[in-house]
Amino acid sequence: MPTSRVQRSPVRMRHGRLAGVLLAPSLFGLAAFLVFPILVVLWLSLNRWDLLTPMRFVGLDNYFDVLTDPTFGNSMLRTVIFVVLVIPLQVALGLFMAVLLTRGLPGSGLFRVIYVIPWICAPLALGVVWKWILAPYDGALNNVLGIGVEWLSNPALAMPAVAGVTIWSQVGYTTLFFFAGLVAIPEQVIEAAQLDGADGWRIFWQIKLPLLGPTLFFVLVTGVISAFQAFDQIYALTPNGGPQGTTDVIASRIYLEAFQGGFNLGRASVMALVLFVILVIITLVQQRFFAQRITYDLS
Amino acid sequence: MTSADRTESTERTPGRTRRAQDERPEGAGRTNGDERADGIEPTAGAESMTGPVAAEQPAAPEPSGRVRSRRRRKPLADVLTYGVLVVAALLTIGPFALSFMTAFKSPAQFASEPSLNPPDPVTTENFARLFGGDYGFVSPIAVTAQVVAVILVGQLAFSIMAAYAFAKLRFAYRDTLFWVYLATLMIPQVVIVIPLYAMMVQSGMRNTFWALVLPFMFGSPYAVFLLREHFRGIPDDLIDAARIDGAGDWRILWQIVVPLSRGIISTLAIITVVSHWNNFMWPLIITTGRDWQVITVATANLQSQYNANWTLVMAATTVAMAPLLIMFALFQRTIVNSISLTGFK
Repeated sequence: MPTSRVQRSPVRMRHGRLAGVLLAPSLFGLAAFLVFPILVVLWLSLNRWDLLTPMRFVGLDNYFDVLTDPTFGNSMLRTVIFVVLVIPLQVALGLFMAVLLTRGLPGSGLFRVIYVIPWICAPLALGVVWKWILAPYDGALNNVLGIGVEWLSNPALAMPAVAGVTIWSQVGYTTLFFFAGLVAIPEQVIEAAQLDGADGWRIFWQIKLPLLGPTLFFVLVTGVISAFQAFDQIYALTPNGGPQGTTDVIASRIYLEAFQGGFNLGRASVMALVLFVILVIITLVQQRFFAQRITYDLS
Repeated sequence: MTSADRTESTERTPGRTRRAQDERPEGAGRTNGDERADGIEPTAGAESMTGPVAAEQPAAPEPSGRVRSRRRRKPLADVLTYGVLVVAALLTIGPFALSFMTAFKSPAQFASEPSLNPPDPVTTENFARLFGGDYGFVSPIAVTAQVVAVILVGQLAFSIMAAYAFAKLRFAYRDTLFWVYLATLMIPQVVIVIPLYAMMVQSGMRNTFWALVLPFMFGSPYAVFLLREHFRGIPDDLIDAARIDGAGDWRILWQIVVPLSRGIISTLAIITVVSHWNNFMWPLIITTGRDWQVITVATANLQSQYNANWTLVMAATTVAMAPLLIMFALFQRTIVNSISLTGFK
């Protein structure tokens, strides 16, 4: 992206003050509610504090404590399992649906709209809906299938169920991105390949997919970043970390540690920082690939 | 804006030809289908990286986003495609349909009949219980609406101001500062809820309206970024002309720049409404009791308290989702395009 055009004209000399006025509110918000909290979380991570008793400085104790805590290890593992279950399926299904939509059949536009519906809804509300659908005795799924599976309280099934609901709610959104990417591929490229005798299968793997690379990478990275932070639907489906902690992903652990398990704000801060470091690393890796358009990908 | 202006700005920035066209403000010769122009944006980015072939040949997807068929029709493949598309659509809509149906069933019918049976008779008793009596679902809706309204106005106004400064003014450390804005995009909510909570407790604002809105109402770095990109596409000549005609900076911003950017601003408005209507973690943490409960928290609490009472709970999820679903029905095209534009979260 070219750097901003420099325009020199006399009327543009007194911009400093105006800029100050225009930027003041958002700068305040940024400083007070994004940057300052990072400093606070660093400070909290060095203290033991439960909000009731006075804060006590403990140095790196919380770090040793958390990093050797099997509960936290379990949370990291569960988070990775969640990401690994969700992302490949979400991406593959999204790509598949996008390819079908680009076949240009009448009505494709309507399907596109339908697929996005879950994505507009609160993950929490969707989680509650699915909690009923997956309920063991009066839930819709068991009812329809005529079975009595404990989808959400069986330790072997809880994580796949939670991942499945997440995939269900995200596929449409992923589809939209791939659709936009596929539509942008110039028709001439495809036609040239067709003239050379390539069949549809080959055109997909050897031409469309490589050209979709940037879209694919964008979807992967933003997907991974948001999956690492997943909370709402998991909270709704399996509160308190799920059966035997099998869905106790990192966001859920931070919440439980800080607000449900005796207010261990110091320990929770350490966990939040670990998550932060992981997310920053992912983002930086992504930036290396997307140096030119950093910011579309940061969300 | 005259077409001469546009041509000139295009010529002056050859590398940004496409962008200038994409950002051509509405009203300046935008045809109906041109709404799609917004949606092209990420694609344009993707394209620029797909190598020389794509770069030489800027794709011009059809405005509606529909794809012209590229090949001879293959009936069997078409039937299979429709089959998959329809099944996927049913799987997508199914849970919604089931939950809406359940919301209109009596608990007795729910307990005695299969889940797929339609409500018979259709009853609104679940909604009546939800809004009247013990559950008091009116308050969460009112609170959420107020929170969303305040955040929406604040975030848009302050983001527009900042974006204008970054796009059109020259001042010291502008690029450094913008870089800082961008860097804060990396800070996820889940990392800062604990310090924010501590800050709210220390300042006595826990469980207040201000705790719900303050962290979000001063603008979002993401909105600033998107708006700045758009504002940069507005020709400086236009602004200079207005200035010569005696318009002050404030007037230029609100009466020229903002009206020319209705598309991106409505996109951002939708993003803000959706993400804050649906926000859950922060309100869950910072509010206790009923006073400032938002709709998502109320729904979660209802579910955990009346676990087996699914007709009532499905009425609650219906109420929680209905406003956004109605908004989606009204603005589906803009929303679908917004998503491909921004990848908003």
